[in-house]
Amino acid sequence: MTRTRKRALIIGLIVLGILFAGFFGYRSLLAFSKFRGQPPGPPIAVKPDQAIETDVDLIRDWMTVPYIAKTYGVSPGFLFEALGIPPRGNEEKSLAQLNEEFSPKSPGIILEVVRIAIQARQSIPTGETPKPRLPLPTTP
Amino acid sequence: MSDFLLTQIINYGAPILGVIVFIGALGIPFPGTLIVIAAGAFCKQGFLTWHTTGLIALTSVVLGDCLSYAMGHYAREPVLRQFQQSENWIRAELSFNRWGGLSIFLTRFLITGIAVPVNLIAGTSGFQFRRFFIFDLLGEAIWIFGYGGLGYLFGTQWEAVSNVLSNISGLTLGIVILGIGLWLGIRQWKAIDSKRKASGV
Repeated sequence: MTRTRKRALIIGLIVLGILFAGFFGYRSLLAFSKFRGQPPGPPIAVKPDQAIETDVDLIRDWMTVPYIAKTYGVSPGFLFEALGIPPRGNEEKSLAQLNEEFSPKSPGIILEVVRIAIQARQSIPTGETPKPRLPLPTTP
Repeated sequence: MSDFLLTQIINYGAPILGVIVFIGALGIPFPGTLIVIAAGAFCKQGFLTWHTTGLIALTSVVLGDCLSYAMGHYAREPVLRQFQQSENWIRAELSFNRWGGLSIFLTRFLITGIAVPVNLIAGTSGFQFRRFFIFDLLGEAIWIFGYGGLGYLFGTQWEAVSNVLSNISGLTLGIVILGIGLWLGIRQWKAIDSKRKASGV
């Protein structure tokens, strides 16, 4: 390798290293400041119908209805009923897939309805029968 | 991509996780660390059992690494034909045999972005397979059980943990590149300096 090429390689590595370290260093600081103060997750649920999580903002559209149901301590049937979607054939689909299939003109609506239904369920004192049905906006 | 993979892990469990980390070990750019942390959280939530999942994931990723080592190993002959007499190649081989173990170990969990090139170099440079396997197994065990353990510990907050760790991995890679650049720079500068002194300039 000629001296000029060697020098170019060294400068390239140093510049690339600084760029990488700077970019990811900044992102690490941001991520860490977001992460700091977050307590470890709640303890493992003891009973099968006990909620593992209560914060509905943690629901994501890659999640399936049975997964959300178990995490938030509700029955999958309750969520399917709230969505107005038949459970059969839809249990393995993510909320994003359900949205695309059943409400393609309202992006994010399925996720929102699931959040509202769970919040509604959480606000009902034990013993009362919940009224979960939150009809989806009809698409023309 | 990661959303699709997460949905599949929820639906089909540990075997899908095994397939993902196996393919990732062959060089397909899957978000492996994110998936492992998420799997830890799924174990805590009772969707997966931690011991079976850990064992399947560890076996799969080590198999994938061994396969990419083998690819490097079988590419050795043509590479040697090309570079056998080259002084740089011999120096690189010696250097990898000296530092290879540490490189293999650290790239399993800390600088995961260059794990596959390291496997290929290990195979091509004739790094002993038994040593490769031991360092690989140790590093991957930290990746699977350490990172998965963090997911387990933080449960539904695993996304925040994953975000921090993936950025730290990028930062470490940057520091390593910078370190190599500086080390080469200092070596070059010293060589020029000693040449100058020798010629009496």
